[in-house]
Amino acid sequence: MTFLQPFILWGLPLVLLPVIIHLINRMRHRPRQWAAMQFLLAATRSSTSHSKIKNWLILAMRILAVLLLLLFLSRPLVGGWLGWAMAAAPDAILLLVDRSASMESRVAGTDESRREYALKLIASAAGEFENNSHLILIDSATRHPETVSVASLAELPNTQPTDTAADIPAMLQTALDWLIENEAGTAEVWIASDLQSSNWLPGDSRWETLVTAFDSLPQKVRIRLLATTQDSPPNTSISVSELARIQTGETGEVRLAVDLKRSEATADTAAITRTLNGIATEFEARVNGQSTRWRHRVEIGDQSGGWGKLELPADGNPRDNVTYYRYSDDHPPAGLVITESPLGPLWQAAASVADASGRKPAKRLAPDDFTNADLRDITLVIWQASLPQGDSAEALRQFVNEGGRLIFFPPGEATTTRFAGLGWGEKQEADDEPFKVGRWDEDQGPLANTDEGLLLPLNQLTAVQRQRVLGQAAVLAAFNDGQTLLARQALGQGEVYFCSTLPLLTWSELGDGMVVVPMLQRLLAAGSARLQRDSVAECGKVGAGDLQLEWTSVETSQRGDVATQAGVYQAGDRWLVVNRPAAESEFERVEDEAVAALFGGLSFQLFQAKRDDTALQGEIWRMFLFFMLLALLVEAWLIRPKAGVESDEPAPKPQPAPAA
Amino acid sequence: MGQPLLARFPMEGTVSGHHRSPHRGSSVEFAEYRNYVPGDDIRRLDWRVFARTDRYYLKEFEAETNLRCYVVLDCSGSMAFEGAHGTRFDYAKRLAATLSYLVINQGDAAGLVHVNANDNTEIPPRRNASHLQLILDSLGQAQPKGETQLIPLLHELAEKARRRALVIILSDCFCDGAELRDALQHLRFQKHDLALFHLLDPLELDFTFDRPVRFVDMEGSHSIVTEPATIRAEYQTELNRFLERLRTDCHEFNADYRRVTTDLPYDKVLADFLTERAGRGKR
Repeated sequence: MTFLQPFILWGLPLVLLPVIIHLINRMRHRPRQWAAMQFLLAATRSSTSHSKIKNWLILAMRILAVLLLLLFLSRPLVGGWLGWAMAAAPDAILLLVDRSASMESRVAGTDESRREYALKLIASAAGEFENNSHLILIDSATRHPETVSVASLAELPNTQPTDTAADIPAMLQTALDWLIENEAGTAEVWIASDLQSSNWLPGDSRWETLVTAFDSLPQKVRIRLLATTQDSPPNTSISVSELARIQTGETGEVRLAVDLKRSEATADTAAITRTLNGIATEFEARVNGQSTRWRHRVEIGDQSGGWGKLELPADGNPRDNVTYYRYSDDHPPAGLVITESPLGPLWQAAASVADASGRKPAKRLAPDDFTNADLRDITLVIWQASLPQGDSAEALRQFVNEGGRLIFFPPGEATTTRFAGLGWGEKQEADDEPFKVGRWDEDQGPLANTDEGLLLPLNQLTAVQRQRVLGQAAVLAAFNDGQTLLARQALGQGEVYFCSTLPLLTWSELGDGMVVVPMLQRLLAAGSARLQRDSVAECGKVGAGDLQLEWTSVETSQRGDVATQAGVYQAGDRWLVVNRPAAESEFERVEDEAVAALFGGLSFQLFQAKRDDTALQGEIWRMFLFFMLLALLVEAWLIRPKAGVESDEPAPKPQPAPAA
Repeated sequence: MGQPLLARFPMEGTVSGHHRSPHRGSSVEFAEYRNYVPGDDIRRLDWRVFARTDRYYLKEFEAETNLRCYVVLDCSGSMAFEGAHGTRFDYAKRLAATLSYLVINQGDAAGLVHVNANDNTEIPPRRNASHLQLILDSLGQAQPKGETQLIPLLHELAEKARRRALVIILSDCFCDGAELRDALQHLRFQKHDLALFHLLDPLELDFTFDRPVRFVDMEGSHSIVTEPATIRAEYQTELNRFLERLRTDCHEFNADYRRVTTDLPYDKVLADFLTERAGRGKR
């Protein structure tokens, strides 16, 4: 409960007034000479508990009436999420508004999005505190604290819809920093979010740090969460997961892998509007189940570059109905093999690239010659030697940071050198049974299933020797005993891989090519992003350098906000494709209990918004007035005089004297 | 008050009067015939019956004698209770004086017994008019004080008064109910006619207080601070239980029990008393 006139609560000791009056009343009793003392003593002894209970009840009613009067005068506010914690209006209220794309889902039965719904309710609730509290807005897109007024809250640029994802731990960190920097007094943090799991990141290690930091603040900070988890109309999202440009002679085409995700699993067709360089055409795609990967070919003729978008009709969330892509001049990938082992030719063949003149093997260099290597056209570096150090390591880091891919194969000897936090441990040999692959990532990465949905034959792969991978990294494939087969470490825009066995029969069956060739080919293709001048970014993760440029939307020919809005943008000869983060299409939410657990011992209150709730809070003085009157009525009923009890000295009344 | 004060049972007096005697006498009231036995006064033989039947019969008549009345006044401290209509003791003294006057005025003998913790006064019944003055003087000097001595007083009276008498008790009866029952039984055993005026103040019956009161015992040192409204029901229950038992006991011993509240005019109380006794005496 929150109070608009909290100073009246200083009068709470007045609830003792009835007790004091009662005691004073007992002290000012009158003496009375009494003859029938024997009956009085007997009556006092046999005074039943009923009478005592009645007296206590009368006293309780009087205390309750005074208490309710004080509460009524202090104008209490209460609401589902403002709860019943007794508190005055805080000095500062930090409004953490989730502006992620998923918040644009419509609330079933209304035209409002969850964001609009949350803003409306927050404005209504915060309006009561505006005179006493500072309202600080921290939105998920900019995470820049801004003092706001309730009246303009819904119209502020920082509360408008975006195509970004939200990082709730980062928003809380911003709130924490603000509280520390501004040395705020009492404060509350109000969070409006749809509890999307990808936004809340419940497994993130930052939560523990945050809770500890909030807990150690000198002031007590109360956290209230408005979870906009209402039902939404059926929704379908669209995103391009893969794009490849295929040039055959004069004719070119763009092959797209389009992911369609739906909130309801029904067999249906989706009407898709395809826009290519501003020209729209419509067609239908068959969609089965909740998640469908649909492959689409777009003929581009002899165009060297262009842009397109795929759009779904309006549904439960209009924000996830569009996805953009950009194709440009063909930059063939190229591999570089660094090794002195006999496997050199094998690596060169596996990482060969096809062009108009046939297959061209990858280049090969000795480790010592790497410092002079020309990496300008290279997209993949295969390294089977001792881990690089010095200039070589620095050059490789730069290469990966730019988007290149680097894969290390075991040198056969343990070293203390590390690269990107990873290194080689001891070599292990199988005793009787060879090592078998237990699991691998079939959805993404170099070992993912083929476009046709076929598995790479890793389940048939055995190894008799392997070298242990040291360090923390994402494991894309592992043996039955849990040891790593393939590990990945992100570095800048590129990735570093460690494969723990070799394509030699003395090591494993990797040499038959069924696994190693597609793996290296995929890494070659993935690294080609390094050579393109087009930037592709998730909304909200556009690099700081790109944000400095003045971008124009190719759709509207107007200045575009690449930080928060998806689209295809152009700045001079540079292109930028910004799409909604793929995770925003996920429907997974964090459960209530899990959310509460995230905040540990902090004062936390969760309010699940219901569609029919029109206000988060309201003044409830009427209720207190009603109960006060009720208490007074009960008290009056309890103390009502019984028949004949009017005064100490009643008027004489005739009474017949019965005779025996 | 034209009705005489009559005894309900035969009285034993020394002179002729209005009241029935347990003995046969020479009044005009026929009692019975009985056979002559040697030793009987032959003057009382009914010669007419002898002439008709040739048998000796005696014709007997009721003897009528005077009344000996003891007025017993309780002088305990509780009799000093003062309500809206004066003290109970004053009310009792007025009743005692009037009753004494009535008794002496109709030619009967009246006496007064009153006792408290410090004083024990007993005026034996006499018929002469000057005796009334003695009773009135004694009443004027009586003071309510201390614990009640009513019970031993009644026992003592039962033993002392050898002849049958009318014993009129004026008391609030705030004493042990069982002991009072024994005392009344003792008096009835001695064949005394009993009349008990149970004097109560309306405030004692109704217990109408609406504020906390410190009740101070008038016969002791007890005091209680209480909220009367909270114990009113229990108090009245206890009091009514006592009153009902006392009434039952009196009825059992054929004593004349009269509950009198001090707001009633005492002349009306006495008129009712005399009228009722007169009615019973005729029966």
